[in-house]
Amino acid sequence: MANILVIDDDEQFRGMLVQMLTLDAHHVSIATDGEMGLNMLERSTPDLIITDILMPKLDGIDFILELARRHISVPVIAVSGGRRSISADFNLESATLLGVKATLSKPFVREDLRRALVKALA
Amino acid sequence: MRVDTQNPKNPMRADLPRSTRESSTAPSVAQRYCDILASVALAAPDDNIEGQLTEAFELGRAAVDQGIPPDELTNMHHLAVMALADAHPQLGLAQIASQMTRPLMEMSMAYGLAFRQQMQSRYENMVNTRLEESRKLEAIGTLAAGIAHDFNNLLGSIVGFAEMAGDSFKEGEPGKYNIEQVLKASFRARDLVARMLTFARQSPAKAMAVDVVREVPEVIALLRASLLPSVELVFVAEVEHARIWADPSQIQQIIMNLCINAADAMDDHGSIMIRLAPLSDVSPQHAAGAQAAQHICLSVSDNGSGISPEALNRVFDPFFTTKAPGKGSGLGLSVVYGIVTSLGGNIKVESRTRGEQRGTEFKVVLPLLACNEAEKEEQHGEHPGN
Repeated sequence: MANILVIDDDEQFRGMLVQMLTLDAHHVSIATDGEMGLNMLERSTPDLIITDILMPKLDGIDFILELARRHISVPVIAVSGGRRSISADFNLESATLLGVKATLSKPFVREDLRRALVKALA
Repeated sequence: MRVDTQNPKNPMRADLPRSTRESSTAPSVAQRYCDILASVALAAPDDNIEGQLTEAFELGRAAVDQGIPPDELTNMHHLAVMALADAHPQLGLAQIASQMTRPLMEMSMAYGLAFRQQMQSRYENMVNTRLEESRKLEAIGTLAAGIAHDFNNLLGSIVGFAEMAGDSFKEGEPGKYNIEQVLKASFRARDLVARMLTFARQSPAKAMAVDVVREVPEVIALLRASLLPSVELVFVAEVEHARIWADPSQIQQIIMNLCINAADAMDDHGSIMIRLAPLSDVSPQHAAGAQAAQHICLSVSDNGSGISPEALNRVFDPFFTTKAPGKGSGLGLSVVYGIVTSLGGNIKVESRTRGEQRGTEFKVVLPLLACNEAEKEEQHGEHPGN
């Protein structure tokens, strides 16, 4: 069981993810974009962050970079509905240095999510 | 100025034979030239003929505007001279010759200038059209990437909720089966989106030695997920290896697009055959002991509905499609054509819309890496023989 912050602008997907994690007995809080996520991190520190990449306001990549700048070392799972790599100049290797422990491509099944959680929380 | 008594209505006029005249009310270029020539030939040696020369110059431009080909000009001049001789037998050869070269020169010069300008502007139009097309493709790529992203988000919700809904049913219950179908359909949709992203990808191709024989099964695995189970996919390799110099994704795109096109030509049932066969091109310049250029022929044939002769002429045109709105972008085959050409190959298509041999076959011929190049690739070795 872990405290997880989910950041995603898609309400329906976010709802699904929250339900899926809650069913596996995790405690979930939500933010609708990176900016809101950073605000929430000022109040409490979760065990894990699951963030979408393409979002309005502060997107996932800027959010992850901001985490590094603020020395917040919470493990991160990056979720993307687009390309396989997070972006052309921000590949998985460099993302790992910044605390990205696993990536998930939408759509994914429950087992993919569970594997990513195990990997990120290890 | 002389006056010709034989032709009182228009003393200058030497009419052309009927066949060369146009039916429109405005005099044709040929008729106008004939008039100019007559007017110049009948002028006294000290008459000012600048007006006629200017008109001849304008006529040259008009001839280009009207699409009159260059060799037609010579013919026009010849007919005008003949008509003039018929109408005015009293004219001496010396007079005709001395006077009529100037309007011919004026006309030819103007024609040449206008012709070059026309060529230039046609070329520019062509370049602009191609630029426009590539911009459209780029826009479609951006659009596809955006749509793919949104679709994957939606599929993310569908798959996740469906999985959780599945928990409410026991194994063997109809609800369980239904949820499995929702998931299966979602995964097919995911593969479709992935294919769309392949088109949207704008990164430049990275060429390497690729074995087409090994690429095909991978594409088939990807295709299998999105084609109906009732569509049969057969792969026949008549060669052990077929190494070419290309980006593997280019080969995938060629096969994928041709197969999708084949599947779309079927009513749920049918068979697609992918065949790799050797093709030796022993052209005369290779005869002198040198190695013949080796090619591989990749063919994709189907027993679908076939392509009509009218559509066959346009299959490779961008945005040309016979598929229902929303079913095809009209880009698949033009993408294939572009890739094949860039790899130094060629593509041909044959199709029958009726009869026992109904169906379509696309034949892609690609240049193989020369044997020693391929071996070098494998052995990091020496040049055999050389």
